[in-house]
Amino acid sequence: MITIAVFIFFAVLAVVSAVLVILQKNVMHSVLYLAFTVLSVAGVFFCLQAEYLGAIQLLVYGGGIVVLYIFVIIIVNLRETVREKRRLFPKLFIITMPALLLLEIGAVLLQNKSPVSPGPEEALSFTSLAEMLFSNYIVPFEVASVLLLAVLIGAIIIARKKMLHDPD
Amino acid sequence: MIPINAVFALGLILFGIGLLGVLLRKNLVIMLMSLELLLNGVNVILAGSGYHLSSPRGSIFAIFVIIMAVSEAAVGFALVLSYFRQKKTYDPDEINDLKG
Repeated sequence: MITIAVFIFFAVLAVVSAVLVILQKNVMHSVLYLAFTVLSVAGVFFCLQAEYLGAIQLLVYGGGIVVLYIFVIIIVNLRETVREKRRLFPKLFIITMPALLLLEIGAVLLQNKSPVSPGPEEALSFTSLAEMLFSNYIVPFEVASVLLLAVLIGAIIIARKKMLHDPD
Repeated sequence: MIPINAVFALGLILFGIGLLGVLLRKNLVIMLMSLELLLNGVNVILAGSGYHLSSPRGSIFAIFVIIMAVSEAAVGFALVLSYFRQKKTYDPDEINDLKG
């Protein structure tokens, strides 16, 4: 019972702060609400007994990505505002696409049967996660490390100033 | 036991908010933030599925999604920075250099 109460608490916090992320005019306020959303989602993960995932969420999102966003916003000009006006066709697209998605999701949820069926019984413990990650999923794990190395090199090459032939 | 429909609803709501953010806002930085919201919604659904099937696979897939989100954020910000240095704007409608 208390788990459900905590889950609802974090879920409401996550949804409210996610709405505030996309409504803010000031980009820095948006980033702070994004940090709040990320922490609330970490709380949801803890409620769902995914402790490792929650810890990774706190470390990587709360500690890494949010700080990266703040640095980028400090580097680029904060007062630069973008006019939020659009022409008719993009507006129609923006209204129809989420509406169609919502209809589809509602249809799926109203079928009133569980969208996932139980598979073979596995233990939901830290040890079994580690064993599975380093045995069944070792190839994606190694590919992910190569991806991160490529991202490191690529981000440095794209973001450095020398490539731009810009006098300042 | 948390009902699975509640978990799926939370994930889908986060996904929908992120989708609205990507489609409605015209600031590149806020669009990238909305992409993070989208991926967070997907992660909630994966973690909920793993919890209900009592399998660690949900967490493992969510970890790979997080790795992908980190890569996307790093490269996306590098692109936004270099774009901003050249054009002095964040407006995605200005990205039409290849237009014939």
